[in-house]
Amino acid sequence: MSNKPMIDRYKWYEVVGIYAGIALFLFFVLAPFIEGFMVSLKPLSALFSSPYSFWPKNGSLTAYFTMWESVPGFWRYIANSMFISSVATIVVLILVVPAAYAFARFPFPGRGALLGAFLAVNMFSGAVLLIPLFRLMRSLGLLNTYFAMIVPGVAFLIPTAIWLLRTYMMRIPRELDEAAWVDGASRLYTLRRVILPIAMPGIIVVAITTFIGAYAQQFIFALTFNSKTEFMPLPIGLFAYFGRQEVVWNELMAASFVGITPVLILIVFLQRYLVAGLTAGAVKQ
Amino acid sequence: MSELSLTQLRKSFGETEIIKGINLDVSEGEFVVFVGPSGCGKSTLLRMIAGLEDVSDGEIQIGGKVVNDLAPVKRGIAMVFQSYALYPHMTVFENIAFPLRVERLPNDEVNERVDRAAKVLQLDARLEQRPGTLSGGQRQRVAIGRAIVRQPRIFLFDEPLSNLDAALRSEMRIELMELHKKLGSTMIYVTHDQVEAMTMADKIVVMNTGVIEQIGSPLELYHKPDNRFVAGFIGSPKMNFINGTCTAADGKKITIDLGELGNVVLERNSTAQVGQRVTIGIRPEHLALNEGDFILNLVPRIVEHLGIHAIVYADQPDGEVFTGMFEGDPAVKEGTPVKIGFNAIDTHLFDADGMAVY
Repeated sequence: MSNKPMIDRYKWYEVVGIYAGIALFLFFVLAPFIEGFMVSLKPLSALFSSPYSFWPKNGSLTAYFTMWESVPGFWRYIANSMFISSVATIVVLILVVPAAYAFARFPFPGRGALLGAFLAVNMFSGAVLLIPLFRLMRSLGLLNTYFAMIVPGVAFLIPTAIWLLRTYMMRIPRELDEAAWVDGASRLYTLRRVILPIAMPGIIVVAITTFIGAYAQQFIFALTFNSKTEFMPLPIGLFAYFGRQEVVWNELMAASFVGITPVLILIVFLQRYLVAGLTAGAVKQ
Repeated sequence: MSELSLTQLRKSFGETEIIKGINLDVSEGEFVVFVGPSGCGKSTLLRMIAGLEDVSDGEIQIGGKVVNDLAPVKRGIAMVFQSYALYPHMTVFENIAFPLRVERLPNDEVNERVDRAAKVLQLDARLEQRPGTLSGGQRQRVAIGRAIVRQPRIFLFDEPLSNLDAALRSEMRIELMELHKKLGSTMIYVTHDQVEAMTMADKIVVMNTGVIEQIGSPLELYHKPDNRFVAGFIGSPKMNFINGTCTAADGKKITIDLGELGNVVLERNSTAQVGQRVTIGIRPEHLALNEGDFILNLVPRIVEHLGIHAIVYADQPDGEVFTGMFEGDPAVKEGTPVKIGFNAIDTHLFDADGMAVY
């Protein structure tokens, strides 16, 4: 007899079905990674051999060393990526925390309309607005700067962040604000001493999703607004492996994996906050 | 001089008027309880005194000064919330110290004042814990501690005991009354529980639909309710009401025809009620079996035996419930008719508008 509670018991074919479903979706998610990793292990010549073999014969990690030589500035792209995403995240947080508090607590004229507008902005992908943004950046003389890659990104990340954090803050009982107000605390004091610490799990969630968002969207902004090699973030930097004659596929794949490693490590460490924050109920009284 | 006085106080949310012209005087050191059914405006009134709600019209004076437009902290009040509103990320010490930190008092004074409050509330051993680890009663005390350290003129309590279980509630009730004695400060306490009101108050303010129905000491309200609402609200189980018609009055005695239940003659010097529909009121605890000035023949539907007394529910001829409370373990059976008697002196009379006739 299983000692699991009734609600957690499944028939054997249900268990098989569940795992088969998971395996199907995981395959689609992970297959590119697996193939990419295999490619990174193979010598370039083996990549175009026929018949194609999935498993690398005489595979080695050589590409992970030669990639640094073929594109000497590669570490710079990783750093740029991290820099752009980090700055974007910090700017978003500075702007969004007070905004979310205001949206959660103060009834002011136009609050609903503004929230709706933020939601509407969310429905446009940045790509739709690239041309106008490009013209704007050009007339302001901001092309080929970090600024051009960070600010549009921030603008597109703010709506989601506000909605996420506002929802979280609305779950903090209003009586806490009132108690602080009765005790003489100003709005800002209350925000700093009462609301911020309690909303910390929510803020961390917003920080992580914003960081991931900034990391993912920088490709399109960097591609359009920047042509300076030294400012390039990782996704653009990878183009350096596209040579005049041939694409150095194995080094390209190796570089991709090296490039995402820092973020991967970061996410692994922060994911418990992510889960905790997304599932946290109302503040326990 | 009165500590708190409300003059023609009104509050509207949009078109709806919640508080409809309240006049009230509270003297220093009084324990005043606002009581009423939910939605009667008692909490709104308290929040107006606290400064959490704007005043639509009228005046609030604290210590002789109009405070309508002052922030709560400038009014000299402290408030204890229903949910306690403790800051979950701070220790008990920091929770209690919060108002003092806001004031930026020096550390020594903060320590001294928090320690003093903690001693009064027996929280000394818990100062380093977080509110999440405390029991309901202890959290309540922390919330009170946060109010005490401010040394306010007036304490405001918004249903502070409603989140506690029954046993703890009566314990905290006694603690609060002891605290009131110890501090001697003015306290205003909101509750929907008439037992809390009766046991704790020096003065009860009974509210209904935004107006004050009656102000008085607990026993005044119990013995001489001004109207049917107060009569029905104060006392447990509720007062019984029997509808009848006033058939005669000679300035000394007044006769009421209760239909199938017979006639009742009460001593009243009023004659205005002749021919009117009136109501008599009689408390369940003032009934006796087989004896009294008047006898009602009723059939018990349900009998609850509680040991110390039994509560009998019967139907009046018009379908209204009639409740009786008898000491000990009386010989009453469900379905068997009984004679329930009461005395004229215990009987309340209300005219067609529900106002008491004495």
